Amino acid sequence: MSNILTLLIFFPLIAAIFGFFVNKNSIRVYGIAVSAAEFLLSLWLWKSYDSAQAGFQFVEKMPLIPDFGISYYLGVDGISLFIVIMATLMTMIGIIALSVKDGLKNLIITLLFLEVAMVGVFVSLDVILFYVFWEFSLVPMLYIIGAWGGSKRVYAAIKFFIYTFAGSLVMLVGILYLAYLYYTTTGVWSFSLTDWYALLLPMTVQKYLFWAFFLGFAIKVPMFPFHTWLPYAHGQAPTVGSVILAAVLLKMGSYGFVRFSLPLFPDASVAYITPVAVIAIIMIIYTAMVAYAQKDMKQVIAYSSISHMGVIIIGTFAMNAEGISGSIFQMLSHGIVSGALFMLVGVIYDRRHTKLMSEFGGLAKVMPTYATIFVIMTMASVGLPLTIGFIGEYLSLAGFFKVSPLMTVIAGTSIIVGAVYMLSLVKKSFFGPVTNPENEKLKDLDSKELWALIPLVAIVVWLGIYPKPVLGPINNSTKALVQLMHNKAQTPEAKKIILVSKKAKEAK
Amino acid sequence: MENYVYIALFAPLVSSLFAALFAQKPKIQLVGIVTSVLIIVSLLASLTLLLHIEETGKAVSVTLMDWIQAGDMDIKFGFTVDQVTAVMMSVVTLVSSVVHVYSNYYMESDRSFNRFFSYLSAFVFSMMILVMSDNFLGLFIGWEGVGVCSWLLIGFWYDKKDVTRDINPSISPSWAANEAFIMNRIADLGMLVGIFMIYWNLGTLKYSEVFAHLDTLSHGMLVGIGIALFIGAMGKSAQFPLHTWLADAMEGPTPVSALIHAATMVTAGVYLVIRANPLYSQIPEVGYFIAVLGTFVAIFAASMALVNRDLKRVIAYSTLSQLGYMFAAAGLGAYWVALFHLAAHAFFKALLFVGAGNVMHAMHDELDMFKMGGLKKQMKWTFLYMGVASLALSGIYPFAGFFSKDTILEAAFNEHTYGIWFVLWFTAGLTAFYSFRQVFMVFFGDERYHELGVHPHEAKPYALWAMAPLAVLALIFGFFKEDFVEFVTKFLPAYEMSEHTEHMVWILTIVTTAIALTGIIIAYFKYSKGLKRNLEFEKKNKVYNLLINQYYIPILYEKTFSKPYKELSEIAWKEIDMEIVDAGVDGIAKAVKVMGDESRKMQNGNLSSYLKWMVAGFIIVTVVSLLTVVIK
Repeated sequence: MSNILTLLIFFPLIAAIFGFFVNKNSIRVYGIAVSAAEFLLSLWLWKSYDSAQAGFQFVEKMPLIPDFGISYYLGVDGISLFIVIMATLMTMIGIIALSVKDGLKNLIITLLFLEVAMVGVFVSLDVILFYVFWEFSLVPMLYIIGAWGGSKRVYAAIKFFIYTFAGSLVMLVGILYLAYLYYTTTGVWSFSLTDWYALLLPMTVQKYLFWAFFLGFAIKVPMFPFHTWLPYAHGQAPTVGSVILAAVLLKMGSYGFVRFSLPLFPDASVAYITPVAVIAIIMIIYTAMVAYAQKDMKQVIAYSSISHMGVIIIGTFAMNAEGISGSIFQMLSHGIVSGALFMLVGVIYDRRHTKLMSEFGGLAKVMPTYATIFVIMTMASVGLPLTIGFIGEYLSLAGFFKVSPLMTVIAGTSIIVGAVYMLSLVKKSFFGPVTNPENEKLKDLDSKELWALIPLVAIVVWLGIYPKPVLGPINNSTKALVQLMHNKAQTPEAKKIILVSKKAKEAK
Repeated sequence: MENYVYIALFAPLVSSLFAALFAQKPKIQLVGIVTSVLIIVSLLASLTLLLHIEETGKAVSVTLMDWIQAGDMDIKFGFTVDQVTAVMMSVVTLVSSVVHVYSNYYMESDRSFNRFFSYLSAFVFSMMILVMSDNFLGLFIGWEGVGVCSWLLIGFWYDKKDVTRDINPSISPSWAANEAFIMNRIADLGMLVGIFMIYWNLGTLKYSEVFAHLDTLSHGMLVGIGIALFIGAMGKSAQFPLHTWLADAMEGPTPVSALIHAATMVTAGVYLVIRANPLYSQIPEVGYFIAVLGTFVAIFAASMALVNRDLKRVIAYSTLSQLGYMFAAAGLGAYWVALFHLAAHAFFKALLFVGAGNVMHAMHDELDMFKMGGLKKQMKWTFLYMGVASLALSGIYPFAGFFSKDTILEAAFNEHTYGIWFVLWFTAGLTAFYSFRQVFMVFFGDERYHELGVHPHEAKPYALWAMAPLAVLALIFGFFKEDFVEFVTKFLPAYEMSEHTEHMVWILTIVTTAIALTGIIIAYFKYSKGLKRNLEFEKKNKVYNLLINQYYIPILYEKTFSKPYKELSEIAWKEIDMEIVDAGVDGIAKAVKVMGDESRKMQNGNLSSYLKWMVAGFIIVTVVSLLTVVIK
């Protein structure tokens, strides 16, 4: 089937529109069915994907505005494939675990629209198309936070919207300038990413464009000091909003670095390794400290997300296949693990209507299954080997070690500071005697929650032990990406630092 | 033979998963039995492999499957059983078997009986991965795995609340568990850096390939790798300054202390140095540093054991001290000596701990030795066992410790590092003293326990039987020294004493035994007749207070690391993140709004004010254009 990507984008769209006509009482079943079908479709995509090939597959190209070279251009490679699958998976699981009563129908329809945007961003190969999906993803999220959020939901929603939107506008200027450059160089208009890849830009231009794109991506990731919208968004968003925000929407930023910044501006990327890495290190250590200071469980996870995204950025700017594969794997791992952790916080919030750790203590005794899953996810979050969390973190750091051993050692404190805030969270909430009488009779996980969480536990263990089915295709595409960057690199410094794998060389 | 490798490795995993099935159920005796049997199966498989390697002299290697492949990194789940591994496997599974069987007794009335066995077997599995892996990253899996199991088991009684004590700021099982985990993580970063260095310089992490190509590296790089890996070893083996977690880890159930915090996990660091002997033998300066640090830890830990009143903490310090001995030997290049002491120590120290477990049960979990005394009458067998273990620990002939510790002292003498020799020799005296101080205080003298209203009783017969293998080994293991040397030196470098040392052996032995006996005799006169406390001394004496407060190191760490980190975190959040970064963002937004509000006032519908603005605008434009002309 050649139109599978189109189907992946439009199926949830049509289902969402159709959803308006579905009866309120059956909307939950409808939502689960649609998201499950979409998830199965993405699994089918994986099954049909040829892991041996590194390039884009299932490519569809249809001109939209031929005069400006804008087209409906889709395709996936190892880098985007699994993020798409993760997006459909987390949407499905988010819908299964929904505990919202008011406006459930609207929420599910909004989530389906959001799914369209998420899938669209990661499969678009036309930059205008990419940008449209990129901005479109803000709208459903704005509603999710603004309509179903906590008491300060409007402030948080607007802050999220305007902040990320402002960043994207700078990126849009960069996009238009790059298209203009393409036009002046070749004489034709094109917004195809693959066409742009062939473009050799002078260093001075690369530098401006790098920062233009950087701003758009950095706010999305979010990188220090552009991160303060995130704690508000997470603090106010309903559980499902946080799950998808952390699991998928943040990845749009880090994906952007891999898909745009590195191959389009290889020389500038190499030249700016140090400032970017310094920001990433600040993210890792500083936000881990902020996370440690939090009183609210959900805020700990929110800040921990920023800290983990720092590791992803470090891996991306390692400029070798080890680091970049690691950073992409870490995107998946962070998506699964932080998604699960947000869901777990939602579980206790549903029961107690508070997220303050001081309200808890001794939960392990009252809710043993809940505690077990929380501890498994904690261990994945701190990067325990044989869980999904280790591989990405290890490879990211290992890759960056080649670039700068010193900065890797500093960034590596991630494994220490991460353990500090997570274990302190576990101790405060789950260990010790049950001091608050309200916690004595709490119900352990019910079947709905188990259905949502057990698959995630299974993935955490499975990909921790046997990452090959996922890491293999990622690695193939990453090697090709590094090769492309190496070929394009003009400065001697970039030629030296962008490290093509020996195995890729031998294969030639 | 490959099947035996898999059986030895996976039987503990099966055991753990089986127990986990019933983790939330009330006690099921069958769980304890099945897990114990599975660990014994693993023991038998390990022993079979040991005999096989003894016969053939060849290592058994298996590769299970791919793990991580990215770029040029290609890491597989590969396991190899050579002489060193076979010894480690046998020691680990033997002690594990004993502890599993014993735990059936020790944990018999615990609410979470099944969960305990699940964790305990998971630990054995992790430990087996640690010793059996054929590459550094596989070792790291086990390394972190034992760390987590240690975290779970120290914090096993997680529902106890934090108690403030004079010595420690605030302590509970869950607190101690976190301390152990985080402190180990600090060291693990060092280990990880070592792994990165190996990978980027040699392109592989497999032991056989790494050690074969060490000569391609510069000396500086070797030193770097050696130091980084040793930092990892310092965490797991609780070497100074990362030692405080081990004593606090005594918050865990006593069988855990016996297995993890005495016999197996804490020796992982020593194992790493032995395993990486091709590396360390090329960088003798790092080796010397390791030996000096080990020697320092030996006497440092022993000094704290001299005064402690806590039954388990004394043994914990003694473990720390003995780990120092092992590092001293390994650092001096006497790798088989270190391994020999590691094995011997595992047997007698586990025995000592398990014996302490019996005492604790008899005393209803009271740990203060000042409240015991005269238990010999009620607990004949435990007394006997702990006596044997203490004799072995003190290095008295013919017990195992005599052979292993004496060899370390001989090696120190042989290397002409007389300072190390002297300190270790003196520490042997301290060891004998505090070991027998403990024995006499617990089993001899006046029966101080009556005040507590407890009625001590001996452990159940099967628990006592379970301890027997360790007692036998503590007694006879030393006589296998020749066989052991012959076996392991097929893999490890042989370490021969010079002729000069050979001549001195008798004198050295006599001198060492003399100081050990002196220690025992002093302990006898001071403690066997009953406890005479000198409260004035305990209050005023500076040295005593220094030792009882662990040189004030836990408080120092609390004040210089934990608290400032917490305060800094608060500042980072409230002062920086909220007041500067976020306020800055909101400030920009507000500035835009204020600008809009202000400029809106221009549109007030008043024609004359519009005209004024127009004139002002005209003047500005004119001035600016004139200026640009002038400047050009």
